[in-house]
Amino acid sequence: MAHAHSVKRYKGLMDWLTTVDHKKIAILYLIAGGLFFGIGGIEALLIRVQLAKPMNDFVTAQQFNELITMHGTTMIFLGVMPIIFALMNAVIPLQIGARDVAFPFLNSLGFWTFLFGGLLLNLSWIMGGAPDAGWTSYTPLSSTDYSTTHGVDFYTIGLQIAGLGTLIGGINFLATIITMRAPGMSFMRMPMFTWTTFVTSTMILFAFPAITVGLVLLSFDRILGANFFNPSMGGNPVLWQHIFWIFGHPEVYILILPAFGIISEVVSTFSRKRLFGYSSMVFATILIAFLGFMVWAHHMFTTGMGPVANALFSIATMLIAVPTGIKIFNWLFTMWGGQIRFTTANLFASGFIPTFVMGGVTGVMLASAPADYQYHDTYFVVAHFHYVIVGGLVLGLFAGLHYWWPKMFGRVLNEKLGKLEFWTFIIGFHLTFFVQHFLGLLGMQRRVFTYLPNQGFDLLNLVSTVGAFLMGVGVIVFLINVVISFKQPKGVDGDVWEDGRTLEWAIPSPPPEYNFKQTPLVRGIDAFWKEKMAGNKEMTPAEPVGPIHMPSPTILPFVMSVGLFIAGLGFMFTKDDFGNGLLNFLFSNYIITGIGLAITFGSMLLRSLFDDHGWHIEPDELNDKGVKA
Amino acid sequence: MTSHDSNGGAVKHRHRQEGPQKHIVAFIFSIILTLIAFAAVAAGGVNTAFTVLLLLVMAVLQVLVQLGYWMHMKDKGHMIPIVFMAGGFFVAGTAIIAALYWMWW
Repeated sequence: MAHAHSVKRYKGLMDWLTTVDHKKIAILYLIAGGLFFGIGGIEALLIRVQLAKPMNDFVTAQQFNELITMHGTTMIFLGVMPIIFALMNAVIPLQIGARDVAFPFLNSLGFWTFLFGGLLLNLSWIMGGAPDAGWTSYTPLSSTDYSTTHGVDFYTIGLQIAGLGTLIGGINFLATIITMRAPGMSFMRMPMFTWTTFVTSTMILFAFPAITVGLVLLSFDRILGANFFNPSMGGNPVLWQHIFWIFGHPEVYILILPAFGIISEVVSTFSRKRLFGYSSMVFATILIAFLGFMVWAHHMFTTGMGPVANALFSIATMLIAVPTGIKIFNWLFTMWGGQIRFTTANLFASGFIPTFVMGGVTGVMLASAPADYQYHDTYFVVAHFHYVIVGGLVLGLFAGLHYWWPKMFGRVLNEKLGKLEFWTFIIGFHLTFFVQHFLGLLGMQRRVFTYLPNQGFDLLNLVSTVGAFLMGVGVIVFLINVVISFKQPKGVDGDVWEDGRTLEWAIPSPPPEYNFKQTPLVRGIDAFWKEKMAGNKEMTPAEPVGPIHMPSPTILPFVMSVGLFIAGLGFMFTKDDFGNGLLNFLFSNYIITGIGLAITFGSMLLRSLFDDHGWHIEPDELNDKGVKA
Repeated sequence: MTSHDSNGGAVKHRHRQEGPQKHIVAFIFSIILTLIAFAAVAAGGVNTAFTVLLLLVMAVLQVLVQLGYWMHMKDKGHMIPIVFMAGGFFVAGTAIIAALYWMWW
């Protein structure tokens, strides 16, 4: 049995391109997600500059449409989702006491398809114009009649490829959490972040097929001349709205549930108390996920579905406030009577709670169908969803990044700078978006590229722009903090916050390649805390020290994604006239598409034909490194 | 080999070896279901509504046999796949029925 396979170990760039280690993939997700988050943020600032004063001509109407479309699409699909996946990858295997995810190869494939999908989408800026039909891309606005550039094609194909990565990631985490928990970790002993990741992955599994179908139909309409959304040929534009929101509403819960998990971990750790109402938290998470699938039509109250549909979806939507309220109170009760330490992570978590409640309250207001006829497509809606996504998710992500940064990189982020970052960001956030509620109530429409003076919009818009720049300062302080943290030597204490409760704090920071020298035995909820309270310094092992099986690095996922990228690009331009015989021939005969697909399927064939048994780390190697379990 | 398992000590679901009889019975049953469906269409004489209904019933039975026997859904330790499939059917069913209902009726 102990036949050590020799494995090619890569160095430098090749190491990152071929890695299947969940900890390195987490860092890749963080870098790529951070990059797109920055691009989306710059787009947001440009939007705010344009709206800073009435009748501004900083950008044209067309550029403004492209900016808002790309801001929304980039932030949701390429910014925050990958950063969520970064934290999941970094933390989930550690929290459940596993050595990697269930399918390390797929994990890498998911990252690279996301990255190449995102690159394809952003290429649109330099290839004839970005998508301009809004992040929702409603038909007929997104049809070739009204959106004549290739922008929306970049949207459909780019998101299709990036969505593949998300779906793969979701399935991977489901399989990991179901099959790879350490002995003793029953479902009801899983840490809260693991629970929310599990439920989020389920939602990804059920919701992403809907957008996949929608994007296929839209790209067929646009590129191959189909008529799914063309009423003059028997299609129906409302079908797109249904398909989009059947995906789109679960998507916003896919975003927020991991943040709920992060907040639960951070609040409980820094209150030195176990999470209040653990089982009700689990129940509320599942209920939110379930209801999240039953409310998509509340985005379509003004479509004319009739009073019965509006009433049903209205009630279902208001119901979501109940499980969400359970969570809010559980966090408050966790803090109540705890020994609270306001570290940066906990500041972000504490800032999250009231901010998210404000977003939730406007959510219930919007859920009322008659009132929604007034709010619909105004800045009130913009304020609402930025309160839940930025005030909820992004604050949660910052909390999670500050909390797990030492675990991911072995270095602590500076607390003083962290606090400066928190205050600039949260004050900037409320300045930007609080006033937008009133802009909406005064009647300012969303997605307008400018407005006339003296309607009461002028001052509020200026305040909003100032706030947006303050948020930008907050993000820059965070980046400075990151750079400073990398000047420190690596290797802080494994349990750096001293009150770590879950398994990831039982191993060194950053963890060794194999995570756990011996799989730990879980004896209760908050497994590591339980051992510490029993007077143990480390986890009780559940197995003797033995050789550890590791997956081999591989370049195939990268190559497969490059293939999809080429195929997508080729498919988009099939009907274009390049004024060049050769190019026209290559594109119109699907030769470029064919080459791309051949690369992808060829790599799949290689993967199937050549078995890769991985390799082993032998026990003496484990001891040489002198790593404590 | 156990120490080589990458999934640590997670519980393994091992299928009890059962005789081939059940599988042969299930296989014959699937074939019969298929034959009935073909025969109903080939016979022609019966009215269309009845044929469609019969085909649907055969299809549902076929799916159940396939899931139960060939996908091992009837065995112990398959609760999670069952829950997920039921959840998927429920979510997809609700979405399709509701969307179509409010679009075209």
